[in-house]
Amino acid sequence: MSNGSGQAYAFMAMTPVLEGHERELRAYLESFNQQTSPFATLTQTHFARWVIIEDWVNSSAQPTQDHLGSPYLIFTSNLHGRIDDYLDALCNLEQASAIWSHCIGCPTPAGGPALKAYLLHNQLDTGFFVAAYPDASVEQVQASLALREQLIAFTVRSQGMDPTTLKSAFEAEFPDGD
Amino acid sequence: MSDEGPTPVEPITATGTAPRNVDGQAIAITVFSSVNWLGRLWLPILFWAATLVARVEAWLGRPPGTLARLSFIHFARWTLVRRIPYNGPPQRKETMTYPRLFFESNFNGGWQEYIDAFSHILTTGMKAFWGTSYGFPQPLPAGPFKEYIKENELVASHFYSAYPQATTTMVLAALKLAPEFKAFKLQNADKSAVDFAEAWREFLTKVQGSL
Repeated sequence: MSNGSGQAYAFMAMTPVLEGHERELRAYLESFNQQTSPFATLTQTHFARWVIIEDWVNSSAQPTQDHLGSPYLIFTSNLHGRIDDYLDALCNLEQASAIWSHCIGCPTPAGGPALKAYLLHNQLDTGFFVAAYPDASVEQVQASLALREQLIAFTVRSQGMDPTTLKSAFEAEFPDGD
Repeated sequence: MSDEGPTPVEPITATGTAPRNVDGQAIAITVFSSVNWLGRLWLPILFWAATLVARVEAWLGRPPGTLARLSFIHFARWTLVRRIPYNGPPQRKETMTYPRLFFESNFNGGWQEYIDAFSHILTTGMKAFWGTSYGFPQPLPAGPFKEYIKENELVASHFYSAYPQATTTMVLAALKLAPEFKAFKLQNADKSAVDFAEAWREFLTKVQGSL
């Protein structure tokens, strides 16, 4: 098992969807966008997804076919830091309650430590996890990207400035403490 | 199995995948493939060895392996699913005749280019990871392999990136640049305007690859 790489953690849970709930669950998940995503409030999240699998895809090369007993909700997250902290925050979200209440075995009410225990029970450990920047937090990535953009813009703007103007423009753009 | 009818087919975007697999520059791939008896034994060994190599490389401070050097991958993972946890009725206990290999990637660029790069750069690695999956057509030529991935791919209902505007290369450049800029500020804050301007030009030359 290799859920971790540096400070990055790969979480995956697969939970069975209640009969007749798949359409409603899918519509709810598809209603999120970048701004309204529950993950936007979870500052440890680099990348995450919800996927519904209706049944296994069976290759014609298999001697026999396998089928799932119900659709499953797959949740994966590539996060920074402690999984305990992450699940604590996730399981306190209203949206988490609304999502996993469509799943078999989910506690009622669907939230807090009971929901966290449910997700951990349904966790599937990662075999091999690759992270391009395993030790960088989300906040660090976002701040570094913002600084890079700022530096690029300043570099373009400061071309041709005389030394005195350049230094004062730099100090105004990047004051001490930044 | 769903009793609610087939899911509508998602249109394909210019990135080569469904819109729900896309968030800004970021693209999601989610794939399950069925694994034969050999894979049940082989894949855990492969995962263990690959993880060990990655950890040793990190410990030695060496550049990451070939996969991480594919500069458009943020995070990727493989998982061998041998059993599905049981939560009591009405869940049916899943009896898996074949384990399933789960593959997830978070990358930027185009879907076609991504699979092409995997096929051409990681030819041996691809065989190692998917060689025990039923129906795997070999990485090259890339066409049949793309078909194989498409057949086994799932579309996300919701996919999120915390920095959708950024490619992996941009993130790595920004993370490299930030401490260099901090050091530049510390070292040059008290210099005269002329010396500062000279140091600024030297700094830009030094970090131009990160801008």
